[in-house]
Amino acid sequence: MVRSRAEVALSLGIVALGLGVAAVTATLPSEGGYAGIGPNFIPAVVAAGIIVLGAWLAFEAFSGGWRKAPAHDAAFAPAPFLWVSAGLFAHMVLIGWAGFVVAGTALFACVARGFGSRRVARDVAIALVFSLAIYFFFVQLLNVNLPAGWLAPVLGGAGI
Amino acid sequence: MEALNALMHGFSVALQPMNLLWGLVGVTLGTFVGVLPGVGPALTVAMLLSLTIKLDPTGALIMFAGIYYGAMFGGSTTTILLNTPGESASIATALEGNKMAKAGRAGPALATSAIGSFVAGTIATVLLTLVAPIVVDLALKFGPAEYFALMVFAFITVASVLGASTVRGLTSLFLGLFVGLIGIDSQTGQARFAFGVPELLDGVDVVVLAVGLFAVGEALYVAAYQSRVVETMEKIKGSLLMSAADWRRSWPAWLRATAIGFPFGTIPAGGAEIPTFLSYAAEKKLSRHPEEFGRGAIEGVAGPEAANNAAATGVLVPLLTLGIPTSATAAILLGAFQNYGLQPGPLLFEAQKDLVWGLIASLYVGNIILLILNLPLIGIWVKVLEIPKDLLYAGILVLATLGAYSLHQSWIDLLTLYVFGLMGFAMRRWDVPVGPAVIGLILGPLAETQFRRALSISQGDASVFFTQPISATLLAITAFLIVAPWLYRRLKPTSS
Repeated sequence: MVRSRAEVALSLGIVALGLGVAAVTATLPSEGGYAGIGPNFIPAVVAAGIIVLGAWLAFEAFSGGWRKAPAHDAAFAPAPFLWVSAGLFAHMVLIGWAGFVVAGTALFACVARGFGSRRVARDVAIALVFSLAIYFFFVQLLNVNLPAGWLAPVLGGAGI
Repeated sequence: MEALNALMHGFSVALQPMNLLWGLVGVTLGTFVGVLPGVGPALTVAMLLSLTIKLDPTGALIMFAGIYYGAMFGGSTTTILLNTPGESASIATALEGNKMAKAGRAGPALATSAIGSFVAGTIATVLLTLVAPIVVDLALKFGPAEYFALMVFAFITVASVLGASTVRGLTSLFLGLFVGLIGIDSQTGQARFAFGVPELLDGVDVVVLAVGLFAVGEALYVAAYQSRVVETMEKIKGSLLMSAADWRRSWPAWLRATAIGFPFGTIPAGGAEIPTFLSYAAEKKLSRHPEEFGRGAIEGVAGPEAANNAAATGVLVPLLTLGIPTSATAAILLGAFQNYGLQPGPLLFEAQKDLVWGLIASLYVGNIILLILNLPLIGIWVKVLEIPKDLLYAGILVLATLGAYSLHQSWIDLLTLYVFGLMGFAMRRWDVPVGPAVIGLILGPLAETQFRRALSISQGDASVFFTQPISATLLAITAFLIVAPWLYRRLKPTSS
């Protein structure tokens, strides 16, 4: 009896990951000097462990569901999830060329939107102040480089 | 008395003005971030790791000790006022603490938790000072086989203790072990699972995994399932001071909880979760006011909070003397040591006396700073709690991504972070504990090194793990721990 298709999918996904680890392990060399085992030994153990655990979870999923799982009633809301994800991807793309402040502001605004904020101007303003504060704290006080990007002319030679 | 001399020397390090300042900064930032709802000690330490990149190791680790303690204290404030335990070790506090706050006694609840944390933290640090040199002497006799057996023991206990299901705990552990394999093999220089990506050759940093699981995963989870839930915060009404009766009921609870918490912290039992519940149960049984439990009994806050802090200090015993982290937070602290090329363990006590004893001395100082700082500043921490959820998670993610990006200044780390975020989301949703994964990542490569060293010494003879008495004993205990629950279920009379 299958209670949750997600549990089945996750269990099989874990088995698949284990098989993937095993496949890569097969390409690793096995010679290991005095120890008699090489860099492929522990990966093989880990691959076997993941496959066995995934299979075990699959067995549980097919026989009444994962054991001792707490009830979970809340419905999945796709829009907030996607806003947060979009913010993280925007940040990933922007940080290298637009700089830390722009990327941080975009991330901040997207996440705030995902958590239900509709006040875009307020969010961007807070995000800008917050990112600038962190930027100067890290670059000036902690001496950690962060990319200035588009704002390099304004921020001066503080960043890279 | 050697320990006392070493400790005095440690104080001369910890009390240097710059180190004192780093301790103060650490405690303040740790409390500030730890107060944020949804941010537990592990995430606080992981997010603030990037602050110390340019510090000298001693200053950085002193700051970390401050962050560690501050985060613990900040978490209990949130638990009492918001009833959202940021981590499992705070659940017991939430039971009575939030009830006290609802009944208008938030002040005494916060006070007993702050003073109790100070008392327990200080006693536990004294115990750490006394116990650490003894464990170091013992650990000097350990060879690779013993270390490997000890690590396997830690893996199994942590995976079976954390969370509701041993299978899911072990799954989390093995996912962490796999992530730990990524990068260059330290013995042979062979690249493994890096797929030619330069950022992966270094291995996955524990910060990326921890921040991904705890911050990104949590944000995705809360966004998807709880973005419309509004939490109500209890106001602090009346005095912050504890009455004479509060004192009388609190101090025995603090002491009992310290006695429970410290030993539990030193063994690999997943940190502070079990001792806080044990302390709660003990106080409920011993209290002269059992009828108050469930409606805001002060012993029910004093005990678990003290147990939490004593255990948090106890965790430092295996971390510093053996290099074995027994909680997710300790695993991240170990990562901080490794960033400086330091490997905690008995040799560190010899080679880096200043650093180790300066760190231990700074724990005493940190406890005092916390006590002085927190009760007067409680008004500020309450303001932090009023930050609305949308801005809160936005800010957390900006800090979280910064922590990952500052490692290599590369977007690859940010992509890795998102992948771990998805993993953390799924683990949170389907009740897979994340602690074992973090411990597996950091301890896995160390265990592999010891395993292969032991086999090198024995010329490939695997019986070495079973013929050395310490190693054999540890492996026997581990096997027993795996088999015992199963046997117990089988042999139990089937009346239920």
